[in-house]
Amino acid sequence: MSPRRGLRGFALAAAAVLFFVLLCMGQAAPEYVSSPNLDNVGRGMLEHPPFGTDERGIPIHEYALQGAGIVGIPALVAALITMAFATLAGIVRCADAPWLDTALQAAGELVGALPRMVVILVVALMLPYDWRVLLPVAVCWALLAAPAAMDEAASSAGRLGGARFVEALRAHGFTATRIYAYHILWNNLRPVIVRQGAEVGMQVVFLEIALSYLALASREPSFTHPESSYSWATLLYQGYTWILGQDLFHSMVLGLGLVALTAGCAQLFRLAASAR
Amino acid sequence: MTWWMRPLVRLVAAVLLPLVVPAIITGALWALPGDPANIICPPETCDGTAALAARWNLDQGPLHFYLDWMSKAVTLDMGRSWTLMAGSPVYDEMVRSVPNTALLVLWATIPLFLGTLDAALGLLPRRVDLLWQAIGLLPAVILALLVAAYVEITFGAFGGDEALRWKLLLGGLVLGLADGALAGAVTGTRTTFEEEVKQRYVQIAMLRGESVFANAMPNVLPALIGQMRGRLLHVLSGAVVVEVVVGIPGLGELLWAGTLKQDFGVVLAATFAFSAFSGALMLFQGLSEIAVAWYVHRSPAGVVEAR
Repeated sequence: MSPRRGLRGFALAAAAVLFFVLLCMGQAAPEYVSSPNLDNVGRGMLEHPPFGTDERGIPIHEYALQGAGIVGIPALVAALITMAFATLAGIVRCADAPWLDTALQAAGELVGALPRMVVILVVALMLPYDWRVLLPVAVCWALLAAPAAMDEAASSAGRLGGARFVEALRAHGFTATRIYAYHILWNNLRPVIVRQGAEVGMQVVFLEIALSYLALASREPSFTHPESSYSWATLLYQGYTWILGQDLFHSMVLGLGLVALTAGCAQLFRLAASAR
Repeated sequence: MTWWMRPLVRLVAAVLLPLVVPAIITGALWALPGDPANIICPPETCDGTAALAARWNLDQGPLHFYLDWMSKAVTLDMGRSWTLMAGSPVYDEMVRSVPNTALLVLWATIPLFLGTLDAALGLLPRRVDLLWQAIGLLPAVILALLVAAYVEITFGAFGGDEALRWKLLLGGLVLGLADGALAGAVTGTRTTFEEEVKQRYVQIAMLRGESVFANAMPNVLPALIGQMRGRLLHVLSGAVVVEVVVGIPGLGELLWAGTLKQDFGVVLAATFAFSAFSGALMLFQGLSEIAVAWYVHRSPAGVVEAR
């Protein structure tokens, strides 16, 4: 086995483990965090394992678990939607369907014409109160991110030769299923599709953190989760108070650690799917 | 696809964008459960909803509301705030906020422009890319949080104009670096040039001792302008986060506050401004593509004078 292939295998295993950990954290999340306990206020990691408590004496790992529960499935759904659109664009470019290709590009231009956060805020404005969960926002983000992914996948397929590549393989006697599924998608478009999916999944997690942080900063309920649950933004908000002098360094460490875990997971997926 | 199809789609979309976005919001406002006037004046807490609906132009259906709002918007009358600053003209608030957002975007554009230029000229070594990529992994909210803390520690919670200047400068830097903005600018530009240099006409130009940059530039310019437009949209998107976290009274912060308070008056005006700016960017890209096509058509040889 070549070192490069070994590295890809290791990256895939590590990414899968990290993502599995994220999903398990979400499944293990308590429905409600513990009640405030004034005897445990601001305890560090060693005083109150595993990660200490906040300024109300609530163990901060409960925020981490609830935050994972908020982002896990929506990030996965958003990644899959983006990957599906990228796959479609790649196949259309190879399928000798110029009008469909043009229509997809025009639609992509229109969808990607506005700043994404502006669209997200308008969508959030329209959401009924009962729908204040991350999934609709994540789906919207995936649809907004899809044009860029489609463009890149279509360009990769175009560089491959497009319809001429399919024609050449057909001349060699390969079936359409094998050409599209194996030669085009698996051998050529896989790095682009997986990278775009991983990036959009990561962006959804960061989007949730950003929206929840903005809501926390404005002392309003978040658009992305019910008021009874807490996002990873809570840890960063507490970490911010540490910068200003409060004794909540461990919240900052855990918050940044979770951000790093998310970014690391996305990068490992990207590495695992990189081209041979 | 014929060469004029893409610019044409862009030009049409650029014109339609500021018209369509308020139309969609107006349609959604009427699609929401209940009467739109109930948002300003919930029947359980105030009476006279019908009178208010007539005053706010909400009593004659979405088409009348939209046409009236648009006809005023083209004369820069953006209507009045519904709930955020109830009754105040939104235009006044926009006059205060747009310059801050413009400055923020301008500061953010500087590292992006320099990165693009250096990558195009081959001045940035490839091994430094890892640094941009590592910084780019950080989400804007994290870096904005550090900026907010720095400004608060340095200037206090209610810092004056000096604090605002630092917020704009550092906020712009955050937007230029975070979420892969600079990394994308550098690697995107370099990849575009590297792909173009593989083309036969550039190889021949190199053999003739001509400038690679000058030969390739007209052909990669539409792609680079498209990438720059994407990055500016990305910066505008991030500006909402940075403005709220850092505390910059800009258009993004206004939109966020309007969204939180369900103030459709503010949201309509802010999204109209964002869509007008996005439309202007798209118009610029479309016109640039036409100009480049015209230039290339005038120079069919595709080569320039030797240095």
